[in-house]
Amino acid sequence: MAILQTKNLSKVYNPDTVPVHALRDVSITIDKGEFTSIVGPSGSGKTTLLNMLGGLDKPTSGSVWVNGEEITSMKESKLIDFRLHNIGFVFQHYNLIPVFTAHENVSFIMLLQNRSKKEIRERADDLLEQVGLGDRKNARPVQMSGGQQQRVAVARALASEPKFILADEPTANLDSTSAMNLLDIMNKMNREQNVTFVFSTHDQRVIDRARRVITMVDGAIHKDEYRDVEETAEN
Amino acid sequence: MYLKLAWRNIWRNKRRTLITLSSILFAVVCALFIESIERGSHDLTVENMTRFHTGYLQVQDFRFEDEPSLDNSFYYDPEFFGSIEENVEGIEFTVPRIDGFMLAAGEELTRPAMVLGILPGREQRLNGLVDRLVEGRFFNEGESTAVVSQGLASRLNVAVGDTLVLLGQGRFGMSAAGKYYISGIVKLPLREMDNQTIYLSISEAQWLLSAEGYITSLLITPESAAQVNILAEALSQIFEGTEYRVLTWREMMPELIEALEFDKAGTRMFMAILYVVIGFGIFGTILTMTLERLREFGILLSVGMKRMKLAAVVFIETLLISILGVLSGFGLGLFLIIYFNINPITIGGDGAEYMLDMGFDPILPTAIAPDIFFYQGSVVFLITLVISLYPSFKILRLNIIEAAKK
Ligand SMILES: Nc1ncnc2c1ncn2[C@@H]1O[C@H](COP(=O)(O)OP(=O)(O)OP(=O)(O)O)[C@@H](O)[C@H]1O
Ligand SMILES: [Mg+2]
Repeated sequence: MAILQTKNLSKVYNPDTVPVHALRDVSITIDKGEFTSIVGPSGSGKTTLLNMLGGLDKPTSGSVWVNGEEITSMKESKLIDFRLHNIGFVFQHYNLIPVFTAHENVSFIMLLQNRSKKEIRERADDLLEQVGLGDRKNARPVQMSGGQQQRVAVARALASEPKFILADEPTANLDSTSAMNLLDIMNKMNREQNVTFVFSTHDQRVIDRARRVITMVDGAIHKDEYRDVEETAEN
Repeated sequence: MYLKLAWRNIWRNKRRTLITLSSILFAVVCALFIESIERGSHDLTVENMTRFHTGYLQVQDFRFEDEPSLDNSFYYDPEFFGSIEENVEGIEFTVPRIDGFMLAAGEELTRPAMVLGILPGREQRLNGLVDRLVEGRFFNEGESTAVVSQGLASRLNVAVGDTLVLLGQGRFGMSAAGKYYISGIVKLPLREMDNQTIYLSISEAQWLLSAEGYITSLLITPESAAQVNILAEALSQIFEGTEYRVLTWREMMPELIEALEFDKAGTRMFMAILYVVIGFGIFGTILTMTLERLREFGILLSVGMKRMKLAAVVFIETLLISILGVLSGFGLGLFLIIYFNINPITIGGDGAEYMLDMGFDPILPTAIAPDIFFYQGSVVFLITLVISLYPSFKILRLNIIEAAKK
């Protein structure tokens, strides 16, 4: 089932002055349970595409559909709520609220969803266990390594039970061990819980772990390939 | 959890919060202190002026205001005024006076002087006059000695035990002349009065001025200063159709009111500047805070926090700092005001001369008035409130993508 779909998506920055065609006629379909990586040279439009998929930015033309709903024409207030319940985000760095502990960071998004206190607490505990941070629940972001922070970010993204998780270069600021560790966690959640991930990356070893690799060049889809990968290579 | 978020954010950058907090505190303390000193010194001036000079309310002959001469004095009918004092609600006591300008001569010098015929007991009750003696003793009612104000005594170069000659005109052009033994020197708080006043007992003055039974003014002391206008109203009604007229201290001293207003306007100017300076200081810290946190705001909006909610949380942060600042300002301000109320600041040197010339005492007591706290507290709070709107405003207009890039 198509969980995420773009139809002839185009984005032109500065149309009036120096037009930059960041996306050209991008049409992709992502199904539930996919583990997709978007790759391509710097400036090829990866971030722009992810922003469109997440409803953070509006396209110049074309549309984005999430679970059969068009989000490109949604009003911003509705879109914020839509994101809260449907889309998980992991950014490149400084993802977390600095004054909150790991546990509070994960809980906060569920609080925004108005879940019950008990459910929030238990689910946050559980998710932190799953990303291997059961013993770092009360640590603040500054007390954690970059890899640990990104794992908390993944736990937070999952907490809201989104349809899919978007991650823009989640490993860019991590050393290779932490990067692989994060990938393992994402991979495990994908396999065990059928969580859909769409992430962009430059890192070849991360690319190697993706089952679908969409290559972008100059704002357009250059290649879109499905591959077999040996699961959890390092573990 | 939102409160937790706000509270922790406040203490996230302690230095910045402390700077903001102390700016607010400083503003509140300054504003409170300045206004309470102003109020205090104004109150003191008004009090001195009313107690020694005009009284809060005065009964006069209706012609006296235009032509303050003995010819426009009035008969002090003990029965009539006694019954007024008894029967009119809100009168604490009354003080009759007769006054006239005369020439006072000492051994070798002559000066114009204001001769005030008084009842020492009543004056003492009104303004503690007897306690202001610096030398000698006060006369009793009916006694024929004079008490001279210190400034005048030194101008005439006379002292206790010397003889004073008074020369002038009594009622209806009768000539007036008398020789008095100086029994005391008194220090008056108002410089102008201190330089020209001679006290005689009221009957002695009446005799000297050929005005037996007459007085120029009857001072009325209300039970509380707040009752002045009501009491004036009531007395006006009683005096309707008579030649008596009642005046309030405001009506009697328009120049003083004007001077005080002028002084207040200056203070207000200064406060406005203070507010602007401090306002910008606070705005500066809030601005840096906002800019530093744009990325965090962007992320919170990305993951699905509503703009209004985030704006509210950030607003609460600054609100809490404001409340904290204003309250601690109240605390420190109250402490300072009480301290300087008990130990008033005394101005020395040229400043003191200047104050005296302006007709003010060279001491600056503070007034402990709740309305000052309310007013200044509200102003500072309002200013910080307006400033606090900035981050919220910014959040409501924030471009998520731009913010997340930071
Ligand atoms: N706000 C903007 N205004 C103008 N041009 C922009 C803006 N954002 C992106 N671009 C341009 O759009 C193109 C695509 O940018 P994008 O950030 O999507 O690339 P990317 O593939 O994510 O690159 P990188 O690998 O460096 O992150 C680039 O040429 C970029 O300069
Ligand atoms: Mg990018």
